[in-house]
Amino acid sequence: MAEPILGRRGTVKKRLLFISLLLLFAVEAAAFGAVFFQRQEVPQDTVAVNEVLQSAQTGWRYGTVGGSDVDGSEMNAGNGRNAAHGLDYVVLDLEGAVLYRSGPGFNESINEAIRHRDTILDVKVDGRIVGKLIVYNDSADAFREDKKRTLLFLAGSTLGLCLVCSGYFFWLERTVLRPFQKLKRFAEYVAGGNLDIPLEMDRNNLFGAFTESFDLMRSELKRARLAKAKADAEKKELIAKLSHDIKTPVASIKAAAEVGGALVEKNRFSDEMCWKGRERLQENYKQIVQKADQIDALITNLFTATLEELSRLSVTPKDMENRELSVILENADYMRCARISDIPECLLYADRLRLQQVFDNLFANAYKYALGTPKDRASSGAERQHLKEGVHLGIEVTAEREFDFLTVIVEDFGGGVGEEELPLLKEKFKRGKNAENRSGAGLGLYISDYFMKEMGGELAVENGRLGLKVSVKIPLSGRCVHETADMFMK
Amino acid sequence: MKEGLLKTENLSKSFSNGGTLQHVLKNIDLELYRGDFTVIMGASGAGKSTLLYALSGMDTPTLGTITFGNEVLSGRSSDGLAVFRRRHCGFVFQQIYLIDGMSVMDNVLAAGLLVNRNKKALLKRARELFFKVDIPEETWGKFPAQLSGGEAQRVGIVRALINSPEILFADEPTGALNSKTGLDVLDTLTAFHEQGQSVVMVTHDMRSARRGNRILYLKDGTVLGECNLGPYVHGSEERHRKLRSFLAEMGW
Amino acid sequence: MQKSIRIACANFRRAKGQTVAIILLVLLGAMMLNLWLMLSTDYKQNFERCHDRLNGEHVTLALNGDGEELRDFLSGVLEEDERTAQYCMDDGFFMVGSFAYHGGEVNTEFMILDKETALGRPVGAIELVEEGEEESGVYLPMLYSSDGRISVGETIEITIGNQTKSYLVCGFLNSAMAGSHNCSMSALVFTKDQYEELKKQDSLLPSTLVSVRIHDKTESQEFEADFKEAVSARYPEIQTQSNSYKLVSSSRYISQMICSGIMSAMAFLTTLIALVVIASNVVHYIQENMKNLGALKAVGYESRQIIGALLFQFSSIALVAALIGIGLSYGLFPAINVMMISQTGIPYDVRFLPLPFFLTLFCSVGTVSLTVGIAAWRIRKIEPITALREGIRTHSFRKNHAPLDKTGLPLHLALSLKTTFSGVKQNVTMCITMLVLSLIITFSGLMVENVIVDMDPFINMVVGEMADSCINIKTEAEEEFLQRMRADGRVEKIYLYHTENAVHVGGIGLMATMTEDFADVNNQAVCIEGRYPKYDNEIVIAVKYARERNLHIGDEIVMAAGGKEMKYLICGYTQISNNLGRDCMFTRSGYERMGSIQNASYYINLAEDVDIEAFQEEVGEWMGERMNTAVNIQEVIKGTGSVYVSLMRVIVVAILILSGAIVLFVLYLLVRGMLSRKKREYGILKALGFTTGQLILQTALSFMPAVTLSMIVGLVLSIQVINPLTALFLRGIGIVKCTFQVPVGFTAAAGAALCLFAFLIASLLSLKIRKITPKELLTGE
Repeated sequence: MAEPILGRRGTVKKRLLFISLLLLFAVEAAAFGAVFFQRQEVPQDTVAVNEVLQSAQTGWRYGTVGGSDVDGSEMNAGNGRNAAHGLDYVVLDLEGAVLYRSGPGFNESINEAIRHRDTILDVKVDGRIVGKLIVYNDSADAFREDKKRTLLFLAGSTLGLCLVCSGYFFWLERTVLRPFQKLKRFAEYVAGGNLDIPLEMDRNNLFGAFTESFDLMRSELKRARLAKAKADAEKKELIAKLSHDIKTPVASIKAAAEVGGALVEKNRFSDEMCWKGRERLQENYKQIVQKADQIDALITNLFTATLEELSRLSVTPKDMENRELSVILENADYMRCARISDIPECLLYADRLRLQQVFDNLFANAYKYALGTPKDRASSGAERQHLKEGVHLGIEVTAEREFDFLTVIVEDFGGGVGEEELPLLKEKFKRGKNAENRSGAGLGLYISDYFMKEMGGELAVENGRLGLKVSVKIPLSGRCVHETADMFMK
Repeated sequence: MKEGLLKTENLSKSFSNGGTLQHVLKNIDLELYRGDFTVIMGASGAGKSTLLYALSGMDTPTLGTITFGNEVLSGRSSDGLAVFRRRHCGFVFQQIYLIDGMSVMDNVLAAGLLVNRNKKALLKRARELFFKVDIPEETWGKFPAQLSGGEAQRVGIVRALINSPEILFADEPTGALNSKTGLDVLDTLTAFHEQGQSVVMVTHDMRSARRGNRILYLKDGTVLGECNLGPYVHGSEERHRKLRSFLAEMGW
Repeated sequence: MQKSIRIACANFRRAKGQTVAIILLVLLGAMMLNLWLMLSTDYKQNFERCHDRLNGEHVTLALNGDGEELRDFLSGVLEEDERTAQYCMDDGFFMVGSFAYHGGEVNTEFMILDKETALGRPVGAIELVEEGEEESGVYLPMLYSSDGRISVGETIEITIGNQTKSYLVCGFLNSAMAGSHNCSMSALVFTKDQYEELKKQDSLLPSTLVSVRIHDKTESQEFEADFKEAVSARYPEIQTQSNSYKLVSSSRYISQMICSGIMSAMAFLTTLIALVVIASNVVHYIQENMKNLGALKAVGYESRQIIGALLFQFSSIALVAALIGIGLSYGLFPAINVMMISQTGIPYDVRFLPLPFFLTLFCSVGTVSLTVGIAAWRIRKIEPITALREGIRTHSFRKNHAPLDKTGLPLHLALSLKTTFSGVKQNVTMCITMLVLSLIITFSGLMVENVIVDMDPFINMVVGEMADSCINIKTEAEEEFLQRMRADGRVEKIYLYHTENAVHVGGIGLMATMTEDFADVNNQAVCIEGRYPKYDNEIVIAVKYARERNLHIGDEIVMAAGGKEMKYLICGYTQISNNLGRDCMFTRSGYERMGSIQNASYYINLAEDVDIEAFQEEVGEWMGERMNTAVNIQEVIKGTGSVYVSLMRVIVVAILILSGAIVLFVLYLLVRGMLSRKKREYGILKALGFTTGQLILQTALSFMPAVTLSMIVGLVLSIQVINPLTALFLRGIGIVKCTFQVPVGFTAAAGAALCLFAFLIASLLSLKIRKITPKELLTGE
């Protein structure tokens, strides 16, 4: 654990050290190089010498060289630029007498100058040699100066080298050797079976990564299993839903056939259609009605068969948000005849599918009893107009929170049923008196009631002001956990 | 009568998990009171931490309302919540969450300077708090990684309290610690509570829970039960028994 | 391999924005690389092709004289010389002249030829590239037609000698060796009738144009020198003008060289930045995905495969980007070509060049792969267990920077400083970028100040001496002329600044500039090392030539002119480039040690508000025959300089846009990396009550120390090195030392603006912090 961190920092340090060492060596090598190779020869500045010579010649011509003032700067007065070249020199005439010197201490005879390797030039005026110019050779001084500088430099860099090395060893001791000793102790502990003592700087679980991997595998498996269960459940749901859904179109087919039959009956005397044809048509309609009844019966039987073992009709409540209930209500009210109030913000605990079925039933009932059968409605054009415009025609839906429940009240204005019938409505195959001419198995409220109970809620039927009032109590999520549990236990 | 501090109504929280909604909190109606040491208990996955973070404005609820005094927290922008947090809340986390790149002192001051511009007063409070939680001065300049777990958590507590928050939220403060250091941290929290600090702590550890005077038991995102340990003396057998029976009742 | 591809695809998807940024950087780099390669390889080849097509000469010599005797002498000299391969001589006129062009004036030596002669030359033929209906008029070099500055059918006033006349432009010609004023002579072709007209003009001396092809074209300059020396030794009074293959081939490519130099620099810089970005990207990727990489290794992926995936990913990005970049460069090339043609004067057809194409591809993909390979090498060192366990390596604890209890800084500033100190890699990337950009800014500042706003410094450097007017008179009238000029109130200063031919014995012919005393000349910066000649045995030579021939200050060289040889001591270097580094300077007395001068050019500074043209006309009237020519120097410079100005303007704008884009890319990648690295920290800070705005401010501020510091350091450094660096660019035209004034104010302002820009961009980019919530941190990453 600690090694990689240390290792990385170590490499950085090491690299740093390596670089600084290399740098120092390079500097020293350069210094040596400078001493051994560079200072072979210092070339004379010929331009400056030319300038001196030229000015000397000019001076000669105008007679400013020589005379009494040997050390003066009179010769330079002519052009004033001589100072720039920085050369020391002496001008001699042909006899060897000093005519000019730029300062004291320079060689003033040809012989001395040759010994000192000074530059000696002829001073010519009009092509005639008139004197000698000796330019002082200062390379020895420069060399000495140079040597001193190099020495100083070398000493400095060696000192730097020593510092870096000692620093490195100190650092090595502190960061590598000591932790290694610590590591050794740690290994001894581990070898001795003592796993409690942590290695400092070691904050993570030794096997954390492995457990993590296993955990990953476990969660993957779990997810796969869940997915399979979900698929199965969905399949079952589909069948249940389908069987419920088939009933509605069958009812429509039957209703249509009935209407057809009725129409044929009505036109019995006015029509030019032959009696036999009419007979056949009526026969057909009758057959359709019969078969529809048969299918209905079959499905009902299928339903009843399942109802016998109702526990198999699974109700699996889940958490759902209030806005999902709005969607359910909207779906159920496919005719758009209801006024639905706002639903308070809350989390419900219900089976979405079953709840949809409950409300489908309730709305279907309301439509059936309060608004009339399709046959009735077909005759009433005005009402249909209302429908199209979406005006509510007497279904009132309100929702409010009551302790641990959300109570949804669906109230129609269809006049309701007799008080004595109320307790029976929720029973199997029971229908209100006013249902005599309406299709239906008398199962809707029974199933709805069952569903609500399964969800831990309640379905209550009573007579409202103008019609039937059904209260659906949907449990709030998280409130009825033990109640439902209790129910199952009982 | 206890003074209400935080109140929730129908608080629900859902997470979308790969397309399906997961409801972690369900219609929670809860009131927290000033001066209480409220402990939220429950099995893992019961939604304890989610509740804590919804209460503390760290997260926004899906449904329902949260009110702090007269302020409604639900529906605030994330920056609005940040301002609420810095003024009124202190946090102690299970993973401690000190910032690695800053020294102990800086970790505390970074939170403090956000609210309080008066550096002198702030430093004074920081020093007091450090002494109270028994963090010696030489530790102040260290980095989080150089601290032991217990030390780090106590620094976390100092950071949480630097702004004198109305409520201190602690999310399993001892979860990452060994039993000894965990005890220290709990003692620290208890001490602050006894000085009047309101604390809300989430834990699934009974030892920790014993420190609270009001125990809420959360199960499947709902408050299953509540237990008042207020009347019983700290560390007494009665208190312990009461808690244990409550938890047994809750199916712990 | 399949496994590698799978990893690569996953990486692609994960980092789309980053991929796009890298693509753009590589694309830009490849585009400029390809442009540079095309410019530097094929563009010059184009001259060779043109030269070969026209059977171009290697040495051209124009002489003011004709007649059998001269011709016999010339052919004698040429035939004696073993180097001669082929030559031809034609009659024509050779005279200084001028015409208006590009808002200024072209002033050069015209070589005037008859159309028939010109087109039928066996050596150095002239071809017509554009021809109108007009039957009588003049054909100009095509240099002047580019950009539609002068078009066929236009009437143009041409001054030849001292006569000005209008001509119809019949068309444009292309000549390898005499196609522009850069070649030191420019061909003008007249139709038969106009040519006859000219013949009647007295002031025009009949001249001979000699074009010589030699066996070895590398010897062109030496041949030219020898030939000229031979002529002037025999006929010292004859005026000659010459050029050589070497001179022309380089002079016609000055701007191409500058342009390709800049291209290469930009290509290099963008590629460098792209590589830095890619490298940091890879490193960042490895850090981010330590656990994943460990997991991959644990499942059995080899390091080779993982590195292979990265290599595949980046090199395929680079390949695609490079291909697009090359495509773009072909899209851009015509525009550059137009600009270039207006400089070179040689037609060029854009075509596909395989060599630059493959080189660019190879370089782009190669460098990217290499970088990725090196950066990804550490994957090999990842031990699966360590990686899985450790994940991202934690912060290294060394020093608590900007301690909050001690610092006097505001909280957010202090926090951002902490961030700054914690991210070394990001600082280094930012520093490199800003250093590069500061150099770019300084360069563009330099160009704006010295070329675009006021081009005098540039002209001073390139041309050397500048004055208002240059009047060339016959030497016998010198004294009278000077007396009168010195008495004239309008003349502020008058001094000899005359150029003659001289030959470096053993070398090539040089243009010898002389004056009485160099203390008088306007531009003292012409001599860049050593000093001006003061005595008559001293000489200053062009630094470019000196380097070629290994001549040093203090050396003595032998010069020849007018048949006499003399020794001179080199006392300095010059770098004026109107003769492309073939210059030397004497004092007048120094030159006269070799030969006398027949004509003398005087440079004149006039008082302000004096009409130069009128002044020249007045002098001309008074001097009459004794005056040869008068040149309005200001006009000439306006004409030639404006081309450079527009070129520089384009370059500066391009550079500035590019630097903005680079800042954007680099910051994008850095901010992205930082956000993912510091996600946890941001989560904690948000939990503590920091708002998004505060965190954005902190993030953006954390980049600023590196940005501003490196910008300041970069600017200071660049201001130091920009002159030598520019000199490096301009080396091709003989410039070794630049002494441009650096516009400190402008540069500082531009730097500050860039820093501000960086801050804004960083803030914008860190808007992503919005999406980090404290909850994320708590529900466990």
